[in-house]
Amino acid sequence: MTTVHDTPIPVPGLLPATDSSGDHRGSWIPTGGMIATRLMELRKRRGLMIALLVVNIGIPSVFLLIRLLGHALDPKSYGPAGGYDIFTNLVAGVMYVFGFIVAATLGCTAGSVDLTEGMFRHLVVTGRSRLALYLARIPAGLAIIVPMVAVGFAIVCTVCVFAATTSINYQGTNVPPGLSVTGLETWAANHPDTVLCNFPSPQPPPSNVDCGNGPGPGPSGPVFKEPQAGVPGPATPAQIRAEAVQIAQQNYGGYSKIFLYPSNSLMIKAGLWIELEAAIGFIVGLGLASLLGQRTVAVILMIVLEVILTPLLSRHVIPHFVNLERAMVGLATAHLEPGGMPLVFGGGGGGGPGGVNPGSLLVPESTTVAVCVIIAWVVGWTALGAWRMMTRDA
Amino acid sequence: MSTATLPGTLDSRAAQSDWAVETHGLTKRFGAHAAVNDVELLVPRGSAFGYLGPNGAGKTTLIRVLLGLTHADAGTMALLGYPVPAHRAQALARVGAIVDEPRFHGHLTGRQNLQILAAAREPAARDRISSALERVGILQRADDRVSKYSMGMRQRLGVAACLLGDPQLLILDEPMNGLDPAGMQDMRDMILSLVAEGRTVVLSSHLLDEVERTCDAVAIVDRGNVIRQGPIAELLSGASLALEVDCAEPDRARTLLDRTTIGGHIGVGTKGLEITLPSGTPPDVIAEINRVLVEGGIPVYRLQPIQASLESWFLQVTSRLGAPE
Repeated sequence: MTTVHDTPIPVPGLLPATDSSGDHRGSWIPTGGMIATRLMELRKRRGLMIALLVVNIGIPSVFLLIRLLGHALDPKSYGPAGGYDIFTNLVAGVMYVFGFIVAATLGCTAGSVDLTEGMFRHLVVTGRSRLALYLARIPAGLAIIVPMVAVGFAIVCTVCVFAATTSINYQGTNVPPGLSVTGLETWAANHPDTVLCNFPSPQPPPSNVDCGNGPGPGPSGPVFKEPQAGVPGPATPAQIRAEAVQIAQQNYGGYSKIFLYPSNSLMIKAGLWIELEAAIGFIVGLGLASLLGQRTVAVILMIVLEVILTPLLSRHVIPHFVNLERAMVGLATAHLEPGGMPLVFGGGGGGGPGGVNPGSLLVPESTTVAVCVIIAWVVGWTALGAWRMMTRDA
Repeated sequence: MSTATLPGTLDSRAAQSDWAVETHGLTKRFGAHAAVNDVELLVPRGSAFGYLGPNGAGKTTLIRVLLGLTHADAGTMALLGYPVPAHRAQALARVGAIVDEPRFHGHLTGRQNLQILAAAREPAARDRISSALERVGILQRADDRVSKYSMGMRQRLGVAACLLGDPQLLILDEPMNGLDPAGMQDMRDMILSLVAEGRTVVLSSHLLDEVERTCDAVAIVDRGNVIRQGPIAELLSGASLALEVDCAEPDRARTLLDRTTIGGHIGVGTKGLEITLPSGTPPDVIAEINRVLVEGGIPVYRLQPIQASLESWFLQVTSRLGAPE
């Protein structure tokens, strides 16, 4: 039996109205203040920030520093610290995979700590839209992970450009790097014997050019020999230079694909590519952790996804499940790998500068499908995480 | 419960409501167990209202339902006149609450935790952080990490979090937990000062003495049901009357009284006779007891009515529920 007291106790005067201007707490759009304080909350996690710094910046920096020191102390034993190969291997081999994992760890943290540390309840009681509370975490997390990846990447780019080797080796010949067609022709005209003897050509060198001792006779110019059967007869110096220029022209395509250091274009593409990978890792981790309500399991699942499942499912076509394999976000981002990079998970857009790798081991997938898969993962996990946050008991 | 569609109309209707909290038939089930069972609760505005019940009675569950932390299975409710969950944002804009043990991000300072919560409220909330910290007495420790706070300090921080929204209604779930006696006194004073400012404070507690000292009205909840509610004085007036009789030969005195028509329960305790009379017993009965004992040749040294306390009343009410029908 419930006894209800019908007469209210005398009420003091109503409190003055609170200024509610700018109060849009029912809106799903997070405010700048919410994003800023969420950023602060994540940034103050010292252990997590140290882990992010170590992986994104520390590992590449230490690796490059060791190479710089080694080369400075013993240049004959240790090659230059930077260069094209070092860049591509660091980006595709280290920053891509580990960047994803640490970004996912950050996402899992952002997606679960309010719940596990008891703040979720306080936040819900403010009356703020739960969707806004969830969405505030995305720019806050990206504001941490994106600059951090960018700094690590900038260090790699800087070292790889400024500490690159000073000459390139084309067909066993040291050739100045970065020459234009005219520049290479001029260089060939000045080194005709080297070009005639070493550069691929459908015609054998003239009989009076001595290629017996390696790349040309040296600075004194070609040696004229007596004509032999099956080889062109002696040529004049002008003819030799003209033929060298022609061969250089024919070889410019191959020469131009060899780089001392990554081009600006490749660096920009690679930078955007690993930023994309990190952003995906963060957003998926955020959604997964919000869905599960805890961090540890979510982080483990993300590592399993990146380190085990994605390489496995990206390389082997499983009959009847190929579309499922194509739905792996790791495969999709691997397909968006810039040309000229080594093969991520055995595939990617690599295979040399500017070209698609014909020998890619990846499960085939068009760029359009890859983009759709990435969008689906980002939107899908955001929707799942937000849905769980909106429906979860606090 | 009707829901208004025009904000202006809704606001004016909400402001005219006499009740800070109003529930009708509110029910929350966990499987077959009804943690909140058909609760009719009316909390007057501007009062300190105690919500009492033994452990597991459903106190915290009701608070969680009211605040939208979990959904109700049936019934309607309104906070400050705003129907919830339909107008939850408007209602919670002027509500502050602590639910269960107050927990915060341990790696952040108290001030930083409040900054996070203020950012989720209206812009003016940020300006109230220092004053809220000062009011609960932890301004000097505001820049220490919460992981270094004692339980009592976290309670105070929880109250400070409630104050950020300049609330008309505060719902405090066991706010005295972890507080030392001085802290409890401070909390009590603060609650009373909040009420004096015209705010409503709903205090969920099992500390009956604290509730009695702090609150104007109470509701007793047991097994999910609100079994009594109203002003404390009014409720206690319906409590049974207890008497302590310090006399010689208490066993013979009890035998003598048992032969009369006084009724009630008569026992022998360490201080003499302990007599519990039904509620509504007229004061003349006390004189009658004295007369019977004196005429029976039993010297009476002291005969003292025991003021009914909220605790004794609470035990009566809840134990009655537990008794077989």
